Amino acid sequence: MSIAALPSDRSGAPTGGGPRISCRGVSSGYLGAPVLHDISFEIDEPAVYVVLGPNGAGKTTLFRTLAGILRPLEGEVLVDGEPVDLQGARDHLHYLSHMDGIPDGLNVREALRFYGRVERAEAPDVDRVLRLLDIESMADRYLSQLSAGQRKRVSIARVFLREREIYLLDEPTANLDPKLSREIRELILELSRDKIVLYSSHNLFEAREIGRYVIAIKGGRLALFDRIENLRGEHFVIGVRVLDAGTPSALADFTRQGDYYLKELPGPESVPALLHELDTQGIRVREAREMNNPLEDLFA
Amino acid sequence: MESPALPSLLGTTIRRSFTVGRVNLVVATGASLVWGTLLSLTSGSAFSSLFPLLLPILGTIGTAGAMLVFTNDRTKGVFEYLIAYGVPPHRVFANVLGAAITLVALVDGLTLAVALAVRLTLGLAVPLVFVETLLGYSLPMSFGATALVTAAGMYWTSLSSPRTGMNSPLGLLPMLGVAPGGLALLAAEGAGPGYRTYVLIGAVVVVVVLAFVLLLLESRLMPRERLLSPA
Repeated sequence: MSIAALPSDRSGAPTGGGPRISCRGVSSGYLGAPVLHDISFEIDEPAVYVVLGPNGAGKTTLFRTLAGILRPLEGEVLVDGEPVDLQGARDHLHYLSHMDGIPDGLNVREALRFYGRVERAEAPDVDRVLRLLDIESMADRYLSQLSAGQRKRVSIARVFLREREIYLLDEPTANLDPKLSREIRELILELSRDKIVLYSSHNLFEAREIGRYVIAIKGGRLALFDRIENLRGEHFVIGVRVLDAGTPSALADFTRQGDYYLKELPGPESVPALLHELDTQGIRVREAREMNNPLEDLFA
Repeated sequence: MESPALPSLLGTTIRRSFTVGRVNLVVATGASLVWGTLLSLTSGSAFSSLFPLLLPILGTIGTAGAMLVFTNDRTKGVFEYLIAYGVPPHRVFANVLGAAITLVALVDGLTLAVALAVRLTLGLAVPLVFVETLLGYSLPMSFGATALVTAAGMYWTSLSSPRTGMNSPLGLLPMLGVAPGGLALLAAEGAGPGYRTYVLIGAVVVVVVLAFVLLLLESRLMPRERLLSPA
């Protein structure tokens, strides 16, 4: 069964009690030409919502529309019942563009103060944010002197200047090294305990690691909105690494990929039986993991 | 709870324009000071006839920093960020325009102060025709040309894909900036002494009206989509 054909399972989602973001029949685009068509969903549960889709599917356009940057050609975006155009609605949102959004001609500390003023943060705690993102050492450097990763770090820092209820993060971990990506993922996970976080990424393993829901956009249309745990790929492939040297005959019907022996199973429920069978044949399994990511099918 | 009013970002835009466009500012101020000082040393009519005509040309070169800020902010997603947090696009235009006007005022003001100080120190008179040309042509042309070129530059930049070098709007900007003053100068010289004043006043009127019309149309010519970085 294809992922896109799965029924939506949002009816049972608990409500968070905080502001909700509603997208009602939204068509949106640039200079009158629609990119998104008839998008509808409602979000009120604090969690990470991963927005996925192929390049050009309309993910950035969706973020820009939710943030009130683009005005819908049809439909409406409401935040806590108010149109997102109104400042009261905007004040619930943090938006991080896929671009850095970093103003030239300022140093890091001045840039954070600039952000604090734009976001009407009263006495923004710049020093705390500098420490949080580990950018104290570059506080007095001009932004033009920073590497792409350092600029991204500064860009992310600003969303921690002031607490808001809804975070729209368009590819926040792009261009970051693995260590910093992990730190950012941890911060996002921490945020999502009591905030709504919409987050886009092309890293499917990262998306699966922190996301609770997936919002899939294809061809400008909402292809799927569901819990990630409900997703089942077309195929379920298990990979095992074994402690024994060589290729035991019991693994003859597996295919080899690097250190892993792969086998397609009907589903994850078959894994315990397979591991038991390997164990009874004297094969000591060091690691077993799902080799394909069901989120990949959203890009098919 | 009502959100606090949007703070003015003009001061920051001016400071950033200084930093980003410091090379243009130094070149424009330096050239303007050299010409201004040299001409103020002359006892003939060169000071009255040439200095006021050069002032708008050199002054507008110093305003490139404002356009650099505009172009960088557009391509780097700063405008996208500002709009998301409730800064209306017309405030963005106004900030850039304000920064450009401040830069030209700085170049012109500094040059005038130095030139007049030199002249008065040497005991040379400041002719009435100089004051008339300054008030009737130099200053309105400086500010009008700056407004026109900045508005046109913002519009032109917003139509363009991000790129760098002399083929980009920014590469051409210093030349575009000198165009109104340069063309007025050529036209005045070509028209002959009897019509010189009329040509200069006519040029000022045309530039100021064009700048005014372009600024009025800015929001219509540049919908917010044009301020966004490529998706």
